Amino acid sequence: MMFPINHKTIFVLDHTPYFGISSEFPIEFDVPKNRGYLPVPPICKSLWTCSVEAAVEYCRVVWDLFPEGKLVRLIVSDTTAHMLNTWVAAQQNLTHLLNGLCLVGPVRRGAGGDVEGLVAAIEALAEPSPAQVSRPPDRLFQNRGRVICITSARDNDSIKNLKDIAHNTIVQLNKKASLAQPAGTSESTSTTPQTLVIHYCHILIINVTPENAETRVTNQPLTEIAGGQIGVEVIVSRASALANLLARLVLPHYKLATTTVTGIPMKEEQNASSSANYDVEIVHSEDAHTGLRASQTAAEAAESVVLRWWTPRGAEGGASGCCGALWRVTPADVASRPSACLVNFLLNGRSVTLEVPRKGGGRSASHVLAAQGGELWIGALGARTPYDDPPALSEGAGGRVTDYRIKEFGALMQQNRLHPMRGAGANARSRARLQRHTTYWPLTISSTLIFNLGSVLEPLTRLVVQETLTDEEVETCRGVLLALLAMESRHEFPTAQLPSNMRGKSSGRREEQWRQVWGELEALVRAHAAAPQHRALLRVLLDCRAHNNHSSDGESRATVIRATTDSPLSPVGAGNGAAEVWAPRNVLDALLAAPRPPRRPDFAGRMAAGTRVATLYPQLQQDVETSH
Amino acid sequence: MPTVLMLDVSLSMSRPVPTSDTTETHTRFTIATAAINTFLDYLCVHAKLEYVALVTFSSMYEVAVPFTREFDTIRSKLLQLDEGDKTCIDTALLGVNQIVLNEWGCQTPVQIIMITDGSSGVGTIGRNRIVQALPLPPSYPAKIHVLPIVSPHDTSLQHAMPLYQKIVDLANNTTSNSNGNMSRGSIYCPDQLTVPGVITAITRLCEQHYQEFWCALKCGQLETRVQLFPAPQTVSHEGVDATYTLANQLHVIGFIQQQDLGTPMAISKHLVIPQAQPGGNAAARENYDSKTDRPTKEGSSSTDGSTTEEDLSDPSKIPNFCVLLHGALKVEGMAAVVVLGAEWWGTLTAWCEASRSRRSCLLLSVLRPGTAAAPWLGALDQLGPAEEGTTTAESFPVRSWRSYSSGGSACAWARPHALLADVQKVLRHARKLPDKTQHLFKELNRLRRAAISLGFSELLTAIGNALERECTALPPSAPSECALQLAHAANALRDPRTALDIKHTLTPLGPNYNPSMSH
Repeated sequence: MMFPINHKTIFVLDHTPYFGISSEFPIEFDVPKNRGYLPVPPICKSLWTCSVEAAVEYCRVVWDLFPEGKLVRLIVSDTTAHMLNTWVAAQQNLTHLLNGLCLVGPVRRGAGGDVEGLVAAIEALAEPSPAQVSRPPDRLFQNRGRVICITSARDNDSIKNLKDIAHNTIVQLNKKASLAQPAGTSESTSTTPQTLVIHYCHILIINVTPENAETRVTNQPLTEIAGGQIGVEVIVSRASALANLLARLVLPHYKLATTTVTGIPMKEEQNASSSANYDVEIVHSEDAHTGLRASQTAAEAAESVVLRWWTPRGAEGGASGCCGALWRVTPADVASRPSACLVNFLLNGRSVTLEVPRKGGGRSASHVLAAQGGELWIGALGARTPYDDPPALSEGAGGRVTDYRIKEFGALMQQNRLHPMRGAGANARSRARLQRHTTYWPLTISSTLIFNLGSVLEPLTRLVVQETLTDEEVETCRGVLLALLAMESRHEFPTAQLPSNMRGKSSGRREEQWRQVWGELEALVRAHAAAPQHRALLRVLLDCRAHNNHSSDGESRATVIRATTDSPLSPVGAGNGAAEVWAPRNVLDALLAAPRPPRRPDFAGRMAAGTRVATLYPQLQQDVETSH
Repeated sequence: MPTVLMLDVSLSMSRPVPTSDTTETHTRFTIATAAINTFLDYLCVHAKLEYVALVTFSSMYEVAVPFTREFDTIRSKLLQLDEGDKTCIDTALLGVNQIVLNEWGCQTPVQIIMITDGSSGVGTIGRNRIVQALPLPPSYPAKIHVLPIVSPHDTSLQHAMPLYQKIVDLANNTTSNSNGNMSRGSIYCPDQLTVPGVITAITRLCEQHYQEFWCALKCGQLETRVQLFPAPQTVSHEGVDATYTLANQLHVIGFIQQQDLGTPMAISKHLVIPQAQPGGNAAARENYDSKTDRPTKEGSSSTDGSTTEEDLSDPSKIPNFCVLLHGALKVEGMAAVVVLGAEWWGTLTAWCEASRSRRSCLLLSVLRPGTAAAPWLGALDQLGPAEEGTTTAESFPVRSWRSYSSGGSACAWARPHALLADVQKVLRHARKLPDKTQHLFKELNRLRRAAISLGFSELLTAIGNALERECTALPPSAPSECALQLAHAANALRDPRTALDIKHTLTPLGPNYNPSMSH
């Protein structure tokens, strides 16, 4: 089920001299409104031109609607088979094909045949596509595909001959592939593209003739041969009708359907005051029509669904109103002026609602056309959704809390905006960053003081969430802390900065408020204390905090200020290790041991011992040793 | 998922059930009623938001109660149902299809529970005819469960089983369903024909298919427990052979402007309903103070203290991250991108229902698995934060290379009008020489390129001839340059050496044109 038949399609284009003859279908250049130009005489395309443009148009529809996963190859067949592209994604586009076709050129004299191309096409089908290569080898899948062979045979016998050749080629290739597989599975998985067994091949032979030529080839409906392994179908077509035929065939091949958007008002000229109505046919997945025609016959299904343009007013509509899936859209006739107008209208960011035309009044919007990321999409406007009439948030958990820090979370969201990046690990980086930014993040205004202090604390709260701090940034933070300390010493309320309505909520005693400020600050900084600069900041903070818990006599404050004005980063004799606030301990210890009190430096012995067991009274031991 | 209860009210449902207990008499119908009541009881507790409809059927079908969340109307309706005649499953399913399509359209998955009497009502031939006539698979995604009110050893059940199995299988066999496949329905046979037996069976059904879905919504260290409604289904996809089941943690990876996000293809959408934190107060604050065992709240405890007592009993007064997120998304007009699993993403948006109560809520859109679910955002696994201090080179939308103007280089000439327009353009320019000389040659080169790739040399010759005739028809007053340029272009187009060589580019004659150089 993994790879449907339309995963791989191969066109075989007959490039033999016969295809150089004229299609005998003259294209008139004489138009009624010929304003004095000399008439250009009608010209006829060659069979080759007809088949190339039809195949290219088929490819355009496929690649427009399926940027990946649906692969098409073109093989030009004369004396040898010319492969215009491979299954590689970089070669699955029109530009590549057209460049290749330029080099092929018109048909030349010389022998050749369609057989070469057909055999090459079947071999191409046995080559794995990139998606098939990347499958784990133990997973079995069906390798299926379609070969569309545009040729011109003399009679049914020649067609039969083609079928037999295709059949034999598949049988032989499969034999080779199944022989190669058991030997190659275990050790040589790295060998260059192995051939795959072909499980099913749909061979569509289109027999092309000029307008007035007799042909003895007849249409043959799809018949399965070789035990259902091959399905062969023969269609006879005039060269002039070939493009229409393939445009029709692409629909069932890729489960597509067409919609005719009717009544699109368009101005004839740039500044014309009047407008005429035009129709544009678009192609998209047939799923977009599900439900529109609940009981349709096969004949109806092949017709285009007509939907009326619903002139957009203001901001109404848009794809956001559509709750279901979206499907890619491409115009059926890409070169027509109305198509180009519609495409430009949508690509400029506007969207339009389509309605089902009703005879007896009443409007019912059914679809939305819109562009996103430079591509066109159609969406079905659904009926009800099972999640309509949702329960009110205000009645659920947390619904009656009114002082969420919404504005601050908005700022956090802006800081954590996603951008299209290159390279791996972008998601992980972004998650790590969110993790840092939310380490200490009170949900409500009333549960925090420090985040309400605004400009006083802003530099610190903004800087501390960074992954690393520079020395200057640590210095800035220290400035903030000292300013706080100064405020406290002036016996100011920390909430004095707040607007009066917020101040009321945290109406504790002054000392309590200051204790909360320092407590929160410590939690904030400690949560980030991973990098050395952060730890330095933490030490400064702890010094300040230690002061906060002492009785506020002038002398101790002075020492604190003196202590904290020495840069914590200046090398302190023994080095940073000794200046750590806490001795390192491993996770198990951290879990088992009692929580470390916040305001007291660790026991000196443990600091010295590091991760080892700390010895008590080491001097005692030394004394004993020296006395001996 | 909305649910249709299909209740068989055929005459055979009124058969009394033999029982040793003489105080109570039961018919198959009353047992079925008990099963439905049990089902509704279960929903009241676990899935209050589910829509349920009751459809009765015999040879006809009738919508007894249309889709509703007021389960009591169904309960009371059960007491007033009329008896019908003969079980006719295919007609009933046809009716159900119509009801579902009218109400929910073809994109909403629906569960159908068929409660019947365990006999198909026909012989083998008739049964096969029913199988042929079943209006399945429906055009909407559905799963059908069958609950036959029958003793497990009843011979009629053996006979009806293949039919039931076929119904369950076919319901799942949706062909035109782009939204992935749902898990299959089942047949729930009671192990004995008693009220408790049937209640056990329906309870099993409920537990397997109506489980509420809980998960943790995480944004960095902020976390809350949420319920997703409707419960997400396991999805599998064409072209992807793995199945995708939602993990029980949704990790926010970042945020994105709503207009950048657009409306990516969602395979399902779910309400995100905040739930009270288990363990009450302590866990509610877990985010910011119990992570580190610091008494950070010592100060605020006094402010909270006054109101704490009644707050703790009322979860709506305990701050919940989900509510905050919703508010901020709404104010900023942003959406959050969440990781749902390996190579699987979703988006969280503040969604305001347009039609009814205008209530706003948080909505999770589950995207199609894979990195390309929203091509205009680029590969989803490469969404990342902007480096601090630098501006990113790329921004949304990430443009695809595709262009709708006939592939850029090619000319889609399959329809004559396109060819006509291009030829006329050339002739228009040709008449406006020397002003349009550059345009003429640019257009000729475009035309040449297309003609060469299509092997359409006839066109080039024809245009060459047309230009030559334009040249002869020039009025005597025209500057001499016009004639020179036209003749030059006409010759170049008809020269077999240059015309069909793609590497050759036609250029206008320079100002110091010297006739001897042209040949």
